[in-house]
Amino acid sequence: MSTEAPAAAGTSDELARSPDPAEPPRKRRRPRVPLRARLRRDWPLLLMTAPAALLLLVFHYLPTLGNVVAFQDYNPYAGDGPLSAFLASEWIGFGNFNDLFGDPAFWDALWNTLTITVFQLVFFFPIPIALAILLNSVISGKLRAFIQTIVYLPHFFSWVLVVTFFVQMLGGAGLLAQELRQAGIEPPAIMTNPDTFIVLVTAESVWKDAGWGMIVFLAALAMIDPNLYEQSAVDGAGRWRRLWHVTLPGLRPVIVLLLILRLGDALSVGFEQFLLQRDAVGRDAAEVLDTFVYYQSITTGNFGFGAAAGLFKAAVGLVLILAANKVAHMIGERGLISKQ
Amino acid sequence: MTPPLAGAATNRRKFLGLTGLSAAAVAGGGLLSACGEGGGSKGAADDTSKVSGVLPAQGKLPDGIPQPDIMSTRPIPDGYNKYPSNLVDLIADKPGSSGKEITAMTPAWGPAPPGLGQNAYLAAINDELGVPINFSIQDGLTYADKLNAMLGARDVPELLCVPQWEVEKLPRFADAVKVLFEDLTDHLSGDKVNAYPMLSSFPTGAWQNALWNQRLMAVPNPTDGPFPWALFYRKDLLDAKGLTYPKSIDELLSIGKQVTDTKAGVWAFSDIFAMIQMFHKSPASETGWRLKADGTPEHKYETPEFKAALEVMARIYKEGLVHPDLAASKGGDMKKLMESGRIMFMQDGIGGWQGMQAQQQKVTPGFNLQPVPIFSATGGDPLVWGDDKPISYTFIKKGASKERIEELLKVINWCSAPFGSKEWHTREYGVEGKHHTMTPDGPVKTDLGFKEIANQYFFISGRSPVVQPWPETPKYVPDLLTYSNAMVKFMETNPWDGIKLEFPATYKSQTVPYEDKITDIVRGRRPLTEFDGLINEWKSAGGGNEARDFLAKARSDAGK
Repeated sequence: MSTEAPAAAGTSDELARSPDPAEPPRKRRRPRVPLRARLRRDWPLLLMTAPAALLLLVFHYLPTLGNVVAFQDYNPYAGDGPLSAFLASEWIGFGNFNDLFGDPAFWDALWNTLTITVFQLVFFFPIPIALAILLNSVISGKLRAFIQTIVYLPHFFSWVLVVTFFVQMLGGAGLLAQELRQAGIEPPAIMTNPDTFIVLVTAESVWKDAGWGMIVFLAALAMIDPNLYEQSAVDGAGRWRRLWHVTLPGLRPVIVLLLILRLGDALSVGFEQFLLQRDAVGRDAAEVLDTFVYYQSITTGNFGFGAAAGLFKAAVGLVLILAANKVAHMIGERGLISKQ
Repeated sequence: MTPPLAGAATNRRKFLGLTGLSAAAVAGGGLLSACGEGGGSKGAADDTSKVSGVLPAQGKLPDGIPQPDIMSTRPIPDGYNKYPSNLVDLIADKPGSSGKEITAMTPAWGPAPPGLGQNAYLAAINDELGVPINFSIQDGLTYADKLNAMLGARDVPELLCVPQWEVEKLPRFADAVKVLFEDLTDHLSGDKVNAYPMLSSFPTGAWQNALWNQRLMAVPNPTDGPFPWALFYRKDLLDAKGLTYPKSIDELLSIGKQVTDTKAGVWAFSDIFAMIQMFHKSPASETGWRLKADGTPEHKYETPEFKAALEVMARIYKEGLVHPDLAASKGGDMKKLMESGRIMFMQDGIGGWQGMQAQQQKVTPGFNLQPVPIFSATGGDPLVWGDDKPISYTFIKKGASKERIEELLKVINWCSAPFGSKEWHTREYGVEGKHHTMTPDGPVKTDLGFKEIANQYFFISGRSPVVQPWPETPKYVPDLLTYSNAMVKFMETNPWDGIKLEFPATYKSQTVPYEDKITDIVRGRRPLTEFDGLINEWKSAGGGNEARDFLAKARSDAGK
């Protein structure tokens, strides 16, 4: 992360970086440009950023202040108006956190969330990569576009639709079950088995989003210099060797970047998907942090408690991102946040 | 489990689709106050019978309204077999005078009707009112979420409809009412209500429920059916198999097994747990309480009746008698399965009956939907769940001038005209030739009528409840009233009648977690033997004992 003054940060870090990593970069300050001059120089850029900055401010940074209710027995009807309700509500310090950490249901939800994250990291995350490599090897442009369109498509379906589709196909009265019954076999419970629920939700996620996740990797594959393949082929590398020594190293920065982002999101595994199937497999299997917050905070209007759970999630996410970034740097990757 | 819908209007068939979702979300208030430092309330009980002075005087129905054909036992409304040929014009003056647009929020189920400017029905009624109402129509399934956010932000429309079953879910609702809405006592109490004659015809019991903090805070929408659930069956299909409806649990199970034909894709039931509880006479007053012989309150979880019902329902699931689609996802559409004959029985509100019958008899000749008369699993008289709480309440946003409040009340008055009046007819059926056509047996809605009319103005107020006739389903009124009047004799009496209860926070917030665990037992994911331990835990950690003390105190405070 940048240790320089904000004035210099983000201008030309790349150029300022010392070419030789062995030699520590000299601490130097570039001559300060007066604010007015910079404004005159940069105003078109600032203007272009303004709408996005405004959006961030209004819909992200301002609401963030509302997190203060995590430390209150928040009563939206106290005080004279919506804003003074924040001031009028009783301050209870870490009372909400106390309740949160004392609630076994919270730990159950956290455990489920982490299990699903890890499971999906292993069984979902590599699939878009594999898919991208496979698709990249299809020569016919038409065929490739056709396949791409088809595998992207489910991303645009809502979860209600995806779950319904799975019920219609694999449910107890679905296509598979009815075919099995016609053949005289009692069909297994696929949609209602809490023990295999994690496989089911991962399968649903793969079906819905693997194609979408492939896009980034396809773009990264297109960036790999075809000469490298030719040269290694000339050097006698076979298909697998080329994959191992050319393709995968080419993809590595993107893979690491996405992995870090995914880790930051480790405590979010989705909401609707679990809400919809919760009754089918029970709370023990399907309660994740987001559904926990929904049932314990949104539907009960207990906003302070929900905000506490949300803050916890954000804090864990931040720690994970920073840690993963650190690890990425240690193994020589650029990571999410560039090192000076 | 509290049924989300106390009384469904007969023509609001979309209502009951929501039961699956909202029954799961019945919870409110704070959190584990057992941990000491957290937020949350200890509950509040408001004895509404002490404050009879503020209630409006009970008026009569206006002159010229025809006599009903079928008289009922209250709270079942009377019924009409024939649509009156002469409609009375009750309100001569247009209620609106200011011309200033009224904002309103009401629920709708299914596709949202077109908004102001694209909706001939709204234009016609607004013209009658003399002042335009601009509706914000919200999905009835997620209405509580919207309300929670809206009330929390203190950003409400001028007229806000809050359904009764959402009130139970809204935390600190009494606080919200005090801060956000106008006190209507000075406009409506005693003889003052006579300025609004349609409102004076509402039953006093409905008004009693509209009291908050001992003041009249809302206009109620009186219920036209007290029963939350009925068990419907496809009479045409059972007849074809030579079967009749079940009269005992054994018959229910054996018929269930006989009609389930998995190879043909036919199962017997939807999730009928509430009905199974009712057959076993498990209590349901105020989220499932009754009084023991010694006068102490007892929750259904603690009764042998509930446990027996639990066993039966677990067996029904275990034997595979519930349609797998309904077992697999909240998205499963029970009504579609019922309509296509892929289930034979479903647990639903009465509100869906007429609509499904009218629609499906066009598709499936001979389609006949009937409710199973409620029986007792253990012999003797059955127990029927029900109460006469209003369907919804209409609140007026705080800060309106006296003139504006009077104008709004006049609008509400117009929307509350009873069956048999021109105003009711226009409100319900829109413009003749456009939204309905007249037949000798009464009005029939056109496609445009179905599209544009979604009870927008119905949820502005209500009406003195009756069961109206439908030309498409001539047998519906006698069928419904025969069933209802037979069942009302066995309706559970609520020991906390007249007391408005806001349960302690722990009890409310622990409702869903324990319901989930009981669902686990029902679905066979947890053994039945865990039930007793679960209930012991519920009594302490789940707030059961706290709620019991709270309920006992509420009764003794009210002098009962």
